[in-house]
Amino acid sequence: MRNRVLVSLVFLCFLALGATSCSPPPQGYSGVMSYDDMLYLGATDGKVRAVNPGARSEGLPFPSSDGEWSFAITVPSKGFLSCGDSSTPATIYSTPVVVDGRVCVGIYDGKVMMLAPSARIEELHFPHRKSGEWTYPDGDDVIGAVVGNLVAVGDTVYVCSSDGVVYALDASSGDQEWRSELSVEKLWTTPVVQGEAIYVSTFDGHIYALSVDDGSLLPWSFEAEVGFASSPLLYGDTILVGSFDDNLYAVRIGDEKPLWRFQGGNWFWALPVVSDGVVYAACLDGKVYALDAESGRVKWDEPFDTGSPIAASPVAVDDSLVVAAQSGDVYVIDMQTGVGARIENPEGDEKPSIDGTTVLASLCGQDGIVYIRAQNNCLYPIDVAGRERKARISLD
Amino acid sequence: MINLWNLVILRPMLNGLLALAGILPEEVEFGLAIIVLTIVVRVASTPLVLRQLKSTKAMQEMQPKIQELQKKYGKNKQKIQQEMMKVYKEAGVNPIGCMWPMLVQFPIWIALYQSIMKALATTPENLLGLAEHLYSSERIAQAIPVSSHFLWLDLGQPDRTLILAILVGGTMWVQQKMTTAPSADPRQQSTSSTMLLMMPLMFGMFTMMFPSGLPLFWLVSNLIGISTQYFVTGGWGYLKRPAAPSSAHTVPRKRK
Repeated sequence: MRNRVLVSLVFLCFLALGATSCSPPPQGYSGVMSYDDMLYLGATDGKVRAVNPGARSEGLPFPSSDGEWSFAITVPSKGFLSCGDSSTPATIYSTPVVVDGRVCVGIYDGKVMMLAPSARIEELHFPHRKSGEWTYPDGDDVIGAVVGNLVAVGDTVYVCSSDGVVYALDASSGDQEWRSELSVEKLWTTPVVQGEAIYVSTFDGHIYALSVDDGSLLPWSFEAEVGFASSPLLYGDTILVGSFDDNLYAVRIGDEKPLWRFQGGNWFWALPVVSDGVVYAACLDGKVYALDAESGRVKWDEPFDTGSPIAASPVAVDDSLVVAAQSGDVYVIDMQTGVGARIENPEGDEKPSIDGTTVLASLCGQDGIVYIRAQNNCLYPIDVAGRERKARISLD
Repeated sequence: MINLWNLVILRPMLNGLLALAGILPEEVEFGLAIIVLTIVVRVASTPLVLRQLKSTKAMQEMQPKIQELQKKYGKNKQKIQQEMMKVYKEAGVNPIGCMWPMLVQFPIWIALYQSIMKALATTPENLLGLAEHLYSSERIAQAIPVSSHFLWLDLGQPDRTLILAILVGGTMWVQQKMTTAPSADPRQQSTSSTMLLMMPLMFGMFTMMFPSGLPLFWLVSNLIGISTQYFVTGGWGYLKRPAAPSSAHTVPRKRK
C-alpha cells in the first residue's frame, strides 16, 4: 500500500515537473526583410512567406497572384518513443536575406536554403536547381543550428552556426567556399562584413576578425572578461556589442581596450541603431538609451522606459525610433528629445499595442510603415507618421 | 504564486548554480556545479532524511506486531486498521511520517530541474528568458552561457547511451534494497519485490527522457543516500542479508 502511494506520488511529481517546467520547444523569431515592395519572413510554423503588403491591405486571399508565395520547410523528427520516421516544421530564427532576387534563409535544424520566388510561386519541387535553388549541406547532412541572420555580400553568403563554425557559401550554387572553426559553443550571432574582414562576436567574450577570402583569423581580435550576448553592429570603425554583464561595448577595430562601455540594467540583446553620431540602444531592462557614439555619454535626460524587456531590434524612420517591447507595446520615440508615445491598440487603449502575444523579432521599416512580426504568427503594420496601428496581417 | 516561487526558491537556486559554475574549472563547470549543489542540498536536508530513516526503521520493527494482528483478525480489515492505528499510536509512530520528508524534497527537485534547464538555455528563447532571473553579479555573468558538456554527457540532452540510466537505476535499486525488509506475507513480499524493481526501472526510463543534468542530480543524490544509510544504519542493511521472508529481523523464518 505504502509503495503504491509512493509510486503515485512520484508520478504526480513528474506530471508537475512536466507541466510546470518542461522546456518549451524552440519557436523561432525570424524578422522581416523588405525588398522590392515585398516582405519576406520565416514564420513560427516553419514556413517562409513572401507577403505583398498591397495585396494584404486589399484583403486578397493568401497567397495572391501579386508575387506572394509560401514554402513549408520540414525536418525529420525521431522522438524517444516515436515509431518510424516523421517530419516536423522547421524552426526559423534568421531573417531571410535577398540575394540576386532569390531568398536565402537559415534554419535552426542546421540547413541553409536558397529559394527562388519563380519556383515557389509555381510550387515546383525543391530545390529547383534550374531556378537557382539549393540547400547547404546537401541531402540529409546538417550543420549546427543557424540562429543569427545570414549576411550576403556580393556572391557570397556568410553563416554562423551553433557548432562554432563560420561558413562562406557561393550564393549561385550553394557550394562551400570556406569554413572557419572558432572552437566556441553556440555561435548564435550574426556576422558583420566590412572590406576584407568579417567580424563575429561570441558567447565566450571574443570578437574575431576573419578574412573574407579564406576565413583565416586576422591578427586582431578583442577579448572581454564576459561573453557577448548580442551580434556586433559596425559603425565606422567601431563595433557595438552587448555583453552578459549588462554592458554595451564600443570597440574600435585594432584596439585592445574598449572605446567605452555603458552599463544598463540587463543585457543589450537587440542590435542598437546608430544615427547622426548617436547610439540608440534598447535593453532587456525595458529602457532605451541614447548615447554619444564617440564617448558613450547619455544624450537624453532620462532613458525612455517601456516597462517591459526589449528583445526586438528597433528601427529608425525619419526622426523617430520605433521600439517594440516584449509585452507587445509599441512606442514611437522622438530621437532628439527621447519623448515617446505608445501606439494605441485599435481594440482598446488599455490593451498593449499588440495584445495576446510577445514580440521578439527585429522590426522592419518600409515606406514609413514599420512591420512587426509577433510570436502569434501575425504581422502588425505601424504607420509611424500617423502613430497608428493598421489592420494586422495573419500569416496562418 | 509563480512570482513567489521564482523569488524564494528558483532564483536563489539558479543563481547559486551559476555562481558555482563560475568558480569551477571551465571544462566541467556545470556538471561539477550540479554535483556540488546536490551535495549542498542533501546536506541541508539531512535532518529530514534522518527522520525519514528513523520512521522507516520504526515501521519495520513493528511489522511482527502488525502481522500478528493480521493473523488474529483474519479478513476483518476494519478491525485490523483500528488495531494497527492503536499500535502505531502506542509506539508514537505516524504511519505516513516517512512520506513527509520525501514530499518536502520534491519542490527541491523541481526547483533544481528548473534551474538546470534555465541555466543550460538550450534554445535562444531560453537564453533570453534566463536574463530576467539573474542577479547582477560579475561571477554569474562570467558563467554564462554554461558549457553543457560533462564527461560523455550533454547535460541539456537526454543520455541515449544507457550508461547514465543504468547508473541511476542501479544506485536506486541498491538504496532501496538496503532498506526494504523481506516480508513473511507472500503478497506483501511480492509487492515489495515488484516495487524494488519498478522504481529503478521507472527512473532509468526517466533518465532517457529528461536532459541528463537532472539524472546526474539523481545519481549523486542516490550515492549520497547510500552513504548516509550505510553510516546511519550501520552497514549494507538488507542488501547483504539473505532475502528470506522474515517480516523483520526479530522474527524467525517460518518453516512450512
